[in-house]
Amino acid sequence: MHFSEDDLREALKRKDPGEGFTQRLMARVEQAKAEGNMRSAKKANGKFLSWWMHRPVWAAAMVAVLLLACGIGGYQYSEYRHAEENRIARAKQQQLQQEAERARDQAIMALEIARAKMNHVLQHARLQAEPDDKIRRQRL
Amino acid sequence: MEQTAAFEDDRLKQALTRSVKGDAHAFAELVREHQGMVFSIAYHFLQDRSLAEDLAQEVFLELFQTLDRIQSPAHLMYWLRRVTANRCIDHGRKKHRRREMALEEAPEPVSASEHADPMLLERLQQSLATLPEKQRLVVIMRFQEGLGPAEIAEVLEMPVNTVKSTLHRSLADLRKGLTRKIREVRYAFF
Repeated sequence: MHFSEDDLREALKRKDPGEGFTQRLMARVEQAKAEGNMRSAKKANGKFLSWWMHRPVWAAAMVAVLLLACGIGGYQYSEYRHAEENRIARAKQQQLQQEAERARDQAIMALEIARAKMNHVLQHARLQAEPDDKIRRQRL
Repeated sequence: MEQTAAFEDDRLKQALTRSVKGDAHAFAELVREHQGMVFSIAYHFLQDRSLAEDLAQEVFLELFQTLDRIQSPAHLMYWLRRVTANRCIDHGRKKHRRREMALEEAPEPVSASEHADPMLLERLQQSLATLPEKQRLVVIMRFQEGLGPAEIAEVLEMPVNTVKSTLHRSLADLRKGLTRKIREVRYAFF
């Protein structure tokens, strides 16, 4: 039996995989995507942990550095807080002192005004009393 | 005609770009475009519909995972043919039953066009199933995909001259196989 190349082409014609091939594949793709995400997250965690597990000296050094950094940071922060509180207290004291000085100055000024007015009244009173004294002296 | 081809190429380029960015619809469009090719290579090689579908799905899953390496629609076609061929050969290595398969067990009936002889096409498919793996792939690439010897050489990683000689030998083996089969039928009748 003879066959031509066209017969062979016909026998090897492309075939369709049938309905639902793409849907089934896309479902597998979604599944692979989800599995891939989980695997990469686990892998990253595992890698991180295994790196530290195989380098205990590095891990201890890193912990010591972290503790030292936390200690220095905490000390500096408390110092800063202390200095800030002092500064605020000093500022408040200064303000109170200024207010007291202002009140004292105002009180002194008020007293001086009162003294001036009293002097003025006394002078007037003396002037009015003077002629009567002269008359009284003349009668005696 | 050229305009349609250019439009088609542009559409596939866009689908490829969108797929690389993670667009599932665009990837489905690429799958629909190439599923016939991948499935048919696997089907003609394995002669088993469900195995061929599994293999085609594996190929597209691998494509999804390596999409960022695909540079163009032409590269995609080349990649799909190459990976499908490699997977077919791997499958053949895993299961040695293909070489020993009896002609009667082989393929499903062929849906022939009006001009072709359905019996001849069926016999051709049966004979193809008995060819060694590399020969089978060369014949599939030549007559299903219409590739030239140089393209087949590139896809199957073989020297061009080897492709030509393999093709020649494969056609001779197919003719021999068909003649033998006809004789067997005659002896059975007379």
